[in-house]
Amino acid sequence: MEENCNKEIDMGKNQIQEGRVEETRVPGIIFAWMLNLNLLIILYITGIMAAGLWGHVHENTALVFLQQVNAVTIVPWKIPVMAVLLYGSLALLLGIRTEKNASIYGKTCVEIMITIAIGYILNFSYIGMVLLILADVIRRMTKVRWKYAAIGIVCGVYLLMDYNLLTGRFPITPLDTYLLYYRNDVRSIMLGIRNVLSSLNILLFIIYTIQLMRVQMSEKERILILNDKLNQANEELQAANRQMEEYARESIKNAETQERNRLAREIHDTLGHSLTGIITGLDACVTLMDVAPDAVKTQLKDIADVARKGMTDVRRSVKALRPDALEKMELEKALIQMMEETKKTSKVEIEYCCTAELSHYNKDEEEIIYRIVQESITNAIRHGKATKIMIAISMEYNIMYIWIKDNGVGCTHIEKGFGLHHMEERLAMLHGSLNYYGDDGFVLEASIPIRWGEER
Amino acid sequence: MDWIKKRNSWFVIGVFLLILTTLVIADTRPGNHPFQKDTVITVGVFSDSYWEVQNGYSYRILEDAIEIFEKEHEGVRVEYVSGLLKENYSEWLAEQMVLGKAPDVFLVFGEHFSDFTEIGALKDLESFMEKDTLFSADRFYTSAFQCGQYGGKQYALPYECAPKLMFVNKTILDEEGIALPGEEWTWDDFYGICSKVTKDKDGNGVPDQFGVVGYTWADAFDANGVELFNAQGTECRLTGEAVREAILFMEELEGLHDGYHVTSKDFDLGKVAFQPMLFSEYRAYKPYPLSIKKYSGFEWECIPMPSGSRGDNVAELDTLLLAMNEDTKQPEYAWELMKLLSGDERIQSEVFTYSEGVSVLRDVTESDETLQLLIESSGDNMGLNLRVLSDAVEGAVVSRGFRGREEAEAEVDRAVRDIMEGSSNISMEQIIWNREIDHFLKDHNRR
Repeated sequence: MEENCNKEIDMGKNQIQEGRVEETRVPGIIFAWMLNLNLLIILYITGIMAAGLWGHVHENTALVFLQQVNAVTIVPWKIPVMAVLLYGSLALLLGIRTEKNASIYGKTCVEIMITIAIGYILNFSYIGMVLLILADVIRRMTKVRWKYAAIGIVCGVYLLMDYNLLTGRFPITPLDTYLLYYRNDVRSIMLGIRNVLSSLNILLFIIYTIQLMRVQMSEKERILILNDKLNQANEELQAANRQMEEYARESIKNAETQERNRLAREIHDTLGHSLTGIITGLDACVTLMDVAPDAVKTQLKDIADVARKGMTDVRRSVKALRPDALEKMELEKALIQMMEETKKTSKVEIEYCCTAELSHYNKDEEEIIYRIVQESITNAIRHGKATKIMIAISMEYNIMYIWIKDNGVGCTHIEKGFGLHHMEERLAMLHGSLNYYGDDGFVLEASIPIRWGEER
Repeated sequence: MDWIKKRNSWFVIGVFLLILTTLVIADTRPGNHPFQKDTVITVGVFSDSYWEVQNGYSYRILEDAIEIFEKEHEGVRVEYVSGLLKENYSEWLAEQMVLGKAPDVFLVFGEHFSDFTEIGALKDLESFMEKDTLFSADRFYTSAFQCGQYGGKQYALPYECAPKLMFVNKTILDEEGIALPGEEWTWDDFYGICSKVTKDKDGNGVPDQFGVVGYTWADAFDANGVELFNAQGTECRLTGEAVREAILFMEELEGLHDGYHVTSKDFDLGKVAFQPMLFSEYRAYKPYPLSIKKYSGFEWECIPMPSGSRGDNVAELDTLLLAMNEDTKQPEYAWELMKLLSGDERIQSEVFTYSEGVSVLRDVTESDETLQLLIESSGDNMGLNLRVLSDAVEGAVVSRGFRGREEAEAEVDRAVRDIMEGSSNISMEQIIWNREIDHFLKDHNRR
């Protein structure tokens, strides 16, 4: 049962997570595209740069070329190789996942330095790699203040790495000079392709940002929905609580009524019975008084007996109303004490045999066991006039069996009194059952399913 | 989360490895690998003479220098690529620079010095000069030494040089009864002689004897103390009285020829009294088998260039420079080799033997051995005073190099030609052209 519950909860969690994964995957995919696109752009630019340099060497225009550049160029084959190696390290750095904002900061700084190095190799003709760093920072940083500071720094680098801004201060050769080797129309196509790819990168970045915003917004929405649900459940819980309180009040009232009824029955059964006997006996005495004064004497003796008996019954009833025996001691001791007291007051013989362990039951279970035994003894003495009572308690597969037999008069037709009725009611509450037979004395069998594990 | 940590640390290792590889690649230079036994210094030279003269001694000076160097530094080998012609040399050097294979030490032509310095291809030599107590800049001719400076820093040492001198046809002067001008002669003397010798000797109505050929506005500017550009190459100084005088003088000189275009062939034929020439050209005159026949018709002599009213008897200096590769892996050895080639008297004295230039060391040029050598090589009537040569080198004008100077000078040439051909006010024209050239310089710098 519990396992099933856990499984269901897990499944629910998985469903929620899967939904989230689907959403968060979109910016991740766009980021991967950006990574690939940047690699393509770097390969393209370094490729045409290297080819341009080789072209100048082959065409013997290297001197003219050097007269136009602003700094010694990098050896042709090194341009793509170094740029791609550095880009690889940048990609690895971008792949590092960490939660700590400080390490993200350090990581970002190294990334910026690598980007500047790549930019240097590319003569700052392309700096779209910075957008990758920006995208990563936006995605990873969690602390808002740090995030904005990092975004500010990266944006600053992006703006400052502008080719035209840098040429004034540092000797940088424009890409166009490298392409001087190519024909004019080819050159413009080459630069056009560079511009298209670069714009594509910016476009991807914008889509990435939009997607990321959407994911974050839907996350917030989800939280709001969950919050609503929580509130609703809370309200329902409160209503249930109120109902429970009402129910508790009612059941207290019920218990009171039941107790009052029982008291009434008890009074009726004991006092009523005795008083009836006394009244009829006394009436008989009044008639007999003149006729046979001796008979009156014996009659009065009998009446006194009845009255005395009634007195015992009242005492027993009062005692039965006081169920604190259980509260003071354990079930088994309480049972034994009760039996001992009964033996003393009513001179019945009680055989008691218990094979089940009688500790650690729930309160209601303990009480019903106690009550059944008590009620049966009372009934046997009161109705069956028994002199011997046998009580057996055993346990089989979580079901407790109570078997009580007396040698009293029994009865062919059993009229359910208040006691039996009450017993049945109580047993029904615990899903137990009650059987009784009156052919040979009176036999009562009760079975109670025991709930293990709650307080054990 | 453990696998993420593991992955992260692998990534960090990867980043380090990639960056390390990049740095190693950036540092590699073809031909120089870390496991080779002996150190190799490469030198960039060309096979023929800088002075456009085939003399058959292509690598003699270098070979001798290498012998001395390898003896002094054991385990160091000097290598050079042979067979490069002077006309292809600068292009070859540029290609080697582009491919990252430029030699450790190489010769640089004066005209390309500023280009190579500007892109940072040449090593700044200041620190070497400071550290090296054996090195003394004073032994060099100041002008030649300054040719290797750019932006106030030394980027090259002079290897050999040649000053511009005035070549005089003594025969014409003797015929006209004119004495050879002194060492401190002026434009007035110059113009006087030119106007005297310009005449129509065969009476066909066209002059057939002339005063001068090849005297350019640049010579006139140098003679009148004009510094055409400022140090940064951002401003032109075409305005001013000195320029005006020089232009007026050029107009007067050209006016003498009456529209006849005099060529250097006319000089070769003995019909022109003066021609400015580099010392190297002068030296090449005699040893040529062809020239003996060509010039047997007249006697010649070398004197300094004439001075303008505001200047001295000075002219430009053509210098061949020696520079170190910025990326050299053996800067110490490279410096030693440079010092040997340009500052060692044993090697520098060979400049006079195997080349046509002038040694950049004052002591070598002024030594008796050199005098002896020059007399021997040019025959008995060696018309040259060594002090004149030495003074011409020492006092030579060093034009500050900057990027695009060639183009700017072409602009000035256009301007001077335009001013001389035009009839309007010279001063006004000067201002207009100055502004135009300033614009040109600004555009050039912005590129």
